[in-house]
This record gives sequence, structure tokens and C-alpha cells, in this order.
Amino acid sequence: MNAPVRRRRRRLPLNVLLGLGLATIVVAVAVLAPVIAPFDPMRMAAGPRLAAPSLAHLFGTDEFGRDLFSRVVRGAHLSLGIGLAAVVAGLAVGGLIGLVAAFAGRLVEAVLLRVIDLLYSFPDTLIALALVAFLGPGLVNATIAIAVSLVPFYARVAYSLAVAERAKPYVEAARLAGIGSGRLVRVHVMPNIGQSLIVMATLGFSSAILSAAGLSFLGLGVQPPSPEWGAILASGRNYITKAPWILIFPGLAICMTVLAFNLLGDSLRDLADPRRTAPQRAGA
Amino acid sequence: MREKVAAQPPDEGGGTRGLPLTRPSGTLSRKGRGGPPSRPRRQTDVETWVAGMITLIARRIATAFMTILAVVVLSGLLVHVVPGDPVTAMMAQSVTASPEVMAEMRSQLGLDLPVWQQVARYAGGVLTGDLGTTIRGNEPVARLLLERLPNTFILAASGLGVALVLGVPLGFIAAINRGRLADTAVMIIAVLGVSIPGFWLGLAMIQIFSLKLGWFPVAGTNARNLVLPALTLGLIYCALVARMTRSALIEILAEDYIRTARARGLREREVLLVHALKPALISIVTVVGLVFAYLMGGQVIIENVFSWNGIGRLAIQAMLQRDYPMIQGFIVVFATSVVVVSMSLDILYGILDPRMRQR
Amino acid sequence: MTALKNMLKMPVAAALLAGTALAAQPAVAAGLTVARSVDADGLDIHKVSTTQSMQVTNLLFDTLLTMDRSGGIHPGLASGYTLSEDGKTYVFTIRDGLKCHDGSAFDAAAVKFNIDRALDPATVSPNASSWGPIDSVAVEGSTVTVTMKSPYGPFTAFLAGMQSGLMCPSSVAGAEFTPIGTGPFKLVSWTRNDRIELAANPDYVNFSPLIENPGKPHLDTLTIMVVPEAVARMAALRSGEVDMVEPSLEEAADLKDDDAFKVYAADLSGQQVFAAFTWKIAPLDNPNVRKAIGMAMNRDAYATIGFEGLVDVANCPVAPNLFATDEEKCASWGVSYDPEAAKALLAEAGYGPDKPLKVKLLVHKLQGWDQMHQIMQQDLAAIGVEAEIETREVAAFFDYMGTVNGKAEGEPAVWTMGMSGADPDYLYFLWKQPGFTNMGLSDTMDAELEAQRALSGDARAAKVQEIQQYLLENAYAVPLVSPGWGWLMASTAKVDGFKMGHMVTLLFNDVTVTE
Repeated sequence: MNAPVRRRRRRLPLNVLLGLGLATIVVAVAVLAPVIAPFDPMRMAAGPRLAAPSLAHLFGTDEFGRDLFSRVVRGAHLSLGIGLAAVVAGLAVGGLIGLVAAFAGRLVEAVLLRVIDLLYSFPDTLIALALVAFLGPGLVNATIAIAVSLVPFYARVAYSLAVAERAKPYVEAARLAGIGSGRLVRVHVMPNIGQSLIVMATLGFSSAILSAAGLSFLGLGVQPPSPEWGAILASGRNYITKAPWILIFPGLAICMTVLAFNLLGDSLRDLADPRRTAPQRAGA
Repeated sequence: MREKVAAQPPDEGGGTRGLPLTRPSGTLSRKGRGGPPSRPRRQTDVETWVAGMITLIARRIATAFMTILAVVVLSGLLVHVVPGDPVTAMMAQSVTASPEVMAEMRSQLGLDLPVWQQVARYAGGVLTGDLGTTIRGNEPVARLLLERLPNTFILAASGLGVALVLGVPLGFIAAINRGRLADTAVMIIAVLGVSIPGFWLGLAMIQIFSLKLGWFPVAGTNARNLVLPALTLGLIYCALVARMTRSALIEILAEDYIRTARARGLREREVLLVHALKPALISIVTVVGLVFAYLMGGQVIIENVFSWNGIGRLAIQAMLQRDYPMIQGFIVVFATSVVVVSMSLDILYGILDPRMRQR
Repeated sequence: MTALKNMLKMPVAAALLAGTALAAQPAVAAGLTVARSVDADGLDIHKVSTTQSMQVTNLLFDTLLTMDRSGGIHPGLASGYTLSEDGKTYVFTIRDGLKCHDGSAFDAAAVKFNIDRALDPATVSPNASSWGPIDSVAVEGSTVTVTMKSPYGPFTAFLAGMQSGLMCPSSVAGAEFTPIGTGPFKLVSWTRNDRIELAANPDYVNFSPLIENPGKPHLDTLTIMVVPEAVARMAALRSGEVDMVEPSLEEAADLKDDDAFKVYAADLSGQQVFAAFTWKIAPLDNPNVRKAIGMAMNRDAYATIGFEGLVDVANCPVAPNLFATDEEKCASWGVSYDPEAAKALLAEAGYGPDKPLKVKLLVHKLQGWDQMHQIMQQDLAAIGVEAEIETREVAAFFDYMGTVNGKAEGEPAVWTMGMSGADPDYLYFLWKQPGFTNMGLSDTMDAELEAQRALSGDARAAKVQEIQQYLLENAYAVPLVSPGWGWLMASTAKVDGFKMGHMVTLLFNDVTVTE
């Protein structure tokens, strides 16, 4: 962990540029969606039904004659929103669990670790199905289900980062100086692991977007006629032969977004600590 | 939703899809608590080491057992609080069952008992090796699962096989070209695979390879049907394997013994393939083992898209039908495979310190 | 496995029927592969409830009576029946020489065995109540006498439907249930969630007026596969991997115009799709508000766009073609599409642009329905009603509806559901208190529903229509379309003679496959 860090001066590598570039485009589209979208994404019969891509309708139209370009663009808004909300919530809860486990004493640690273990032993597809059935369908509940599925991951990451931090001399020193655990974590540990957590958040973001699409694909996520990407794919999948553009464009939008944040997260991690690209070894 | 993904060590974190699942019991235990005793350096330590290993194994098995039991109880509670019971689900199509008949069905199935009793009854059954019978069709859950486990196993193994075949060379190329264009390009390609929604990729595969080209059949559970789902899973997991290979190799290439080997004048090819890649494979295999545990229960959507008759399909259907014994049976199998794999890896780590190989 | 053994044991005694069967037999031994979305739950007819299950059991088990296209009752395994003056005692004469798949005989005792088993509380048959208020069943020679506690009009229609398929007693002889019947096909093997393999019953004798082939099916083997993903099913059909599929709605419309394929729609489905209301919750307790919402619904668009033109608009609370269903009369009783009049009604009730009515649109996921609900949402918006769609999966949906319909306060909701049957008696299960998902109406309605059960013939028809009129005039239900789910099949053009019967039975007896 504390091996010497070799830092080379270098230009931003291609993957960072690509990640940044794509992410900027996606975010810009999401923010500017109302301006960019030429049609109301909900408006039926904005064009003929199932029209192929053309100048009037860049991505073609769907089964109701809604403009697919407008829908995909507005979907960016939804998908990014869900991803962000789920990650923030998951990170907050999971991070808290991880930090508490690391700093609240042996008993709490043992219990929380078992809980995290347990959460990992559940199949997440089923749990998401169960949660959505339990909470009811819809944007907010789907986001909650995804956030819940992220909790064990963030708890785990926060815990291992905190444990690494716990072993450092300054923590020991602070303890000896009589600083309480809560303050210690807030003032000293958080700033030190915050950076890594943000990297993890970036990566969780892309997985949340995929999860949202998956849930919608099963019909349990965002409700129609909302143009969430997974929902467009789900309702349009049977047009795969007749009007493949209904599947191609939202699918590409998902790929592009997830790719952007995966690349960004990966490279942020590399930049933050090149040493971390190495796999972690037992007890090392 | 999406396939379960990627178990990786925490710092490897997962630029991957899904929940980049870090396997807790494996890594956690080694850091926080008393991990496995380190490999004996001297002959006299061997006895202590063996004793330590036995304690470790016993403790791991005990925790694994407790975890599975807790999963049974919790999942039992969870499925019972979800709205809609098996009888409602069954009657959704044929509402001609009178309320009395439905009440009768509930009492026959024991669904009128308090939830804790139902869960306790089920957990008791699991302890004695009885997973119950399905509500739809009244088949033994254990038999249904056992009949399909081989299919799921084959698909998971083939998917990982594809991921290894694609991922290891990609990671290798990336590592030896570290920091250069080839590195970046390879990694971008790998990450692209993990950025595609599995169901979307699956549908595209069917459309292209089955319908347009007619190379592979669409549906069924046999050798030729295996190709497309295995390829889909392989593409998805390829990124994980590639990244693991890359980082493992990069670390190993920086080790002293590699420099020594080079200094000794060994051919570069031999250095890379024999001295670097082989030890790197150990860490790759462990990660792959973890992924495997998840794949066993996590390829639900892929099984559905390709009509592969595995346990994932049983699970989704059971969930929609609220077939409690079937859902719980699946969760037991899933939890068991996860726990067993991570336990084995834990123990393996104790026995097999990779550094030993590097001397 | 047991089924396989039984088949091997079976003496090939087709000689009796060989003459008739061979006459229509095509030269090539033929097999057919069908792909459906969902597997059967089980093949024990007394324990299953889903259409997908009964589509298979109906191939294995025949019924006591049969029904023609217009709902007329015909003989089946029973060569005839008599009904006593008081409408309580049925005497069925069972045909001689009926043979089960395993060679055993099917007789009057077997009929009694079926009724007893279906009604035995230990069996917990989902269809137990459909058999009616049976008091006793007696066997004498080749007759079966069924005595009812009270007259039960729908009985004969039920006995002609796939829910009342009759198994041979040898089905339960072993430790595990083995489906053995007198039907056109016998079970060879079943891999759950994957495929059911069937073989033609060489001894088969047909009694159904829907079928032409008098004897053994022309097909030798029939494979029913499960392919859950619609895209995959369509690809399998187009690539020739399977001969027949349950198509996706979206592609069925295209296949219809394609000479290489055939599309079949079950016009005898008995299925009815309708919208209902949480009528206990204000302002939906006001019939005019319900009517206004009904008037906003452009049912033509649901049929032509939502369902790709593969269904028809329906006007009655029960499906077209069922006993006593008169589409014209229903149309005059119910609301019709008129957004302007709808706005006026809403304004009367105090809703308008300044005070829009907000409702939930509670639905469950089904092909075509999802599209219909989106159009419906727009329709409602057009009269100033803000409807928010909430989609649940089936089990959660009906559970939720049970709760919502039980409440007199809360958010008003419009919801949709489908119902199917071979007789309008399903009104009884829906609207009699407490009713399906607590949708029962009132004591008066309960009495009416009981009354129609005790009547028969024209008197019953009049009563059933009276009930329908009441439901429509008070807008408790807004009939939408018919059929509505799983009623389509599509095949390659080389398949000939496939038919679908009442409640979406799949009839393969007349099917031939040309190369």
C-alpha cells in the first residue's frame, strides 16, 4: 500500500480524454435536453408511426409516432438522475456502514461485517424484483431498489479503505491525543479516503445506470410513457425486425454513458494512485 | 435486472458493470481480523501452521453455515412481505376460484400461518436437507434445481472460458504496452464490452447470428445453443479479466525477480510468458472463481433471452408466481455457491501464498 | 418416465380406427414444434388454473360435453344427457368403448372419480367452485347421475370447457401423477420450463364439433417448447427452427401480410378486457364522472394502435360470442367515445381546467395493454384528467387491487383487467360481493347474480342481459376490447388446419404439415 509512487508527468491519456469527452456530452445533453429535443418526447403522432431515421426525425419514430431523438435526449435526464440519486444514497448508507464498522469497536465491526457478507449472498436481481414489488413501481422506488443493491459494495469499499487508514500512525496518534472516533473519522479519515470513494462512486454510477435499464427492461422501473432508456428498449424490443432503430439508439445511449463513466472511473483511479491498479494480495 | 457481476478485490473496485462485487469474507478477514497464518518459513513452524489452518478452516465452515442459515431466514421474511401471494398469482388468470377455495388453498399450503412460522418451518426443512415442493406443479424444489444446475454450470463455465480466452491476451497486450496507445485502445475495447446491457447484446446476437446468418439456433439447451449465450457472457466479463491480467502483470513485471531474469539474459518471451504470466494467472483465477459463484445465480436475464434451461429462469418465474419454496430454494443455492467459493478462496489463500511461487 | 413406460406397454390397437384415420393421413410422418412463452404449471387438470397449463391438458384429456362455435352444447365423452324438471338432476350416458392412453377403459366410474377428486377439499382444486353446488354423484351402469343442491345453469357449458377435462383413474395409480386421458395426444416426456413432448393417440375418436378429423391426429408428434423472450420466439419462427409460435403482437401484424406465414386469432377466446373504477372513492362514486372517463376512451385506437388491429372493440362486460351476449344492445347501454360530452360531464361534477381531476391508472404488464394504457393516458389528458400510470407485475397488481378496491377513501383509480370464460357466469365471480379483488357491488347485484345461475334458457339470457345493462348504465365497467392476451398463434405457411377453440384451446387434430 505504501510502496513508493512513481509519478510521471504525462498528458491526459486517451481513455481519460475519451471518458471525459463522452461524459461531458452526456451530461450536457441531459442538462440541455429541453432545448435540444425538437419535439415533446411524450407527444404521440409527432410523425408517422415507426418511421425510419430521417432529417425530420433523426432517430426515427416509435410505435406511437413519438420522436425517438427527443425521447432519447430526454431519457438522458432520467437515466443520469436515477444513477446519481442511487449512487449518492447508496454511498451515504454504505459508506456510513463501512466507516462505523471500521471505527466503532470490535463487536460492532464483527456484526457489521457479517451483515455485509449476508447482503452479498443475496442474488440482486431477485432482491430488486422483490423490492420493487414491495415498494410499488415507479421512478423513485426503482432508484431506491438500485441504491439498496449498491449498499453492500460501498460498505465494503469504505470499510477496506478505512481499515487501511486505521493502521496509519496519525490515527494512532490522534487516538492517543484523546480524539473521539466520530471526530476522528469526520476530520481526519474522511478527507483521506474521500477521493477513493468518489472514484468508486463514478464506477457505481455506470452500474446504477445499467441496473436502471435492466429493471425497466423487466417492466418494473420507470413507468411509461417516461422515456427512460431501458423503458424505451423494453417497450420497443419487439420491433427489432420492423423498426430496429427503436432499439439501436437508446441502446447506444446506454453504452456510451456507461462506457464514459467506466473509463472516467478507471482512469481517475489510476491517476489517483497508480499503485492501486495492482491486484490486492492476501495480507499484503 | 442485470447479471450479477464481478467479484474483485476492493481496490480493483470495478470499472466494471453491475455491482463490482467485492467478496467480503475473503478479503475482509485477511485485513481486519485474524487472517490465515502466514506460510511457515521454517520447518519448526509447520505444526503451528497446520493447527492454524485447521482452526481457520473450521471457523470458515462455521461462519459459512451461519451465513447460509441467516440468508434462508431473511430471504424467507423478504419474500413473504412482498405483496401478492402464490394463490393470488395463480388465480390472476382464472378468477373463477371462489374466495372460499382460495382460502382453502392458502390453508393447505400453510400460507395462513404467521410469517415467522412459515419461515421457521422452511428453515427447519433446509437444515434437514429438505427444500420443500413447489407451489406450482408440486415438484420437489431440490430436484428441479439439481436438474438445472448442470446447465447453469455449463453456461457459466463457458461464459468465463470465453472471457478468459479474450481477456487474458488483451490484458497481456495492454500490460506489455503499458502507457502506450495499444494499452489504452485495448482497455477501451474491453470496457466497451462491460458497458453494453446484457439483454440488449443478447437480443442483437439472436438477431444477427440466428436470424440473419442462421449460424446458431435460437432456443434450447444443448451444445449449439450454448455458443451465443456463452459469447454474450464472455464479452461482458472480458473487461474484468483483461483488467485483472493487466494489473497483475504490471505489478509482477516490476518485481525484482523479473529484473533478475532479464538481467540473466532470458529471452523476453520466456520472461513474459513463464515468469510473469504464470503467477499472474493465479490471481486471475481467484477472481474468476468469485465471478463464477455469481454467474451461477446471476445470469438470469441471459438464460431468459436464450431460453437456456438453467436455475436463473426458474428463479425469475418463481418470483413472478410467488412460488415461495422455489424462490427460497434458489436463494439457498445462490448463497451457498457464493459462500462456498469465497470460503474456499479464503482457505486457498492460507495455503497458497502466491509469493512462494515467485522465488 | 412412467408415461414412457405406459406408452411402451400400450398395445397398438389402432386397427379399429385405421380406416378412417388413414384416409386423411398425409404421406409423410409429421411432427410439429410449437414455442410458447410460458410452460404449463402442471398437467393435473384438477390442480391447474393457468391457460398455458390447460392448453396442454386439453390435448390429453377430453370433456364430457363439447361446444360448437356458437356456444351450443354437443355430446362428448357422454353421448347425451337429460336434465330433470326442477333443474337439479343431470343424467349423463357415457359412451362405450372409450379407451385411455394406457389401454384401460374410460367409463362412468371414471367420470365419478373425476368429480369426486375435483371436489375433494384435499385436492384444493382452483376450479372446485365452477363445478357448481353438486350434492351427489351416482354411477349406474353407463350412466352418471349428478344431483345439484340448487339449479346451476352454467353447468353444461363448464362441462364442455377445458377446465373440466377428464382424466383416467390410472393417472393417480402410481406414486406420482401421470397424465393419462382419452385425448388426441399422449404425454411422452416433459422437461419443465423446456419442452413437452407429445405423441398422437392412435385410438383417438373425436367428438368436438370444432374438429373435422374423426380419429387420430394427422401429426405423429407434437413438441411444445418454452421460449420466454418474444424476440427469440419470432426469430425461431422466421429461421424455421420451430413451426408455430405465440407471436409478439408487434410482429403478428406483419406476419399476417406475409405469404410465408399464417396468423391465427382465437375468436372464441371468451376474453374480455375492461376498465373498472375504485367506485367507492370520491369522485368516482359519481356515475357521471365514471361515464366521463369512459367517454374519453378512444377504444378504436386501443384496438388499431395499441393492439395492432388484432383485436376488436368490445361493448359488453362479457366477451362477444358468449351466451346471451348482445353487442348491439350493450353498445346502446354503455358509453361511447365523445370527449366533448365527457368534458361537459366533468364540468358538471366540478372539474375543469382550473381544477383537474387526478387519478391513478393502475395496470399490469401485458403485450398490447402497455400501449393501450399510454394512449388511454393521453385520452384522459384530452378531457383534463391527469392520469399517472402505475404498472405492477401480475401477483402484486391483483394483491394491490384487492386493497385499493376495499377502501372507500384514498386516491381515485382507474384500472384495467381481463377475464375469460366459456359462459357469462364469470360476472358472478367478478361482481358478487366480496368479488374478485373486492370488486363486488351490492346486495341487489348479488341477488341478481345468484338468480341468473338458477335459471336456464331464455329466462337466464334475459337476466344476464339485465345485469350487463346495469353494469354499463352505471359505468361500473367500461368494456374495451376482445380478446386481450395470449390469443394469437403464428405458424409458417406449411402448417395447415390449425384451429383455436373456446378459451384459447389449441386444436392440432386437423393439422397437416406440407413440405
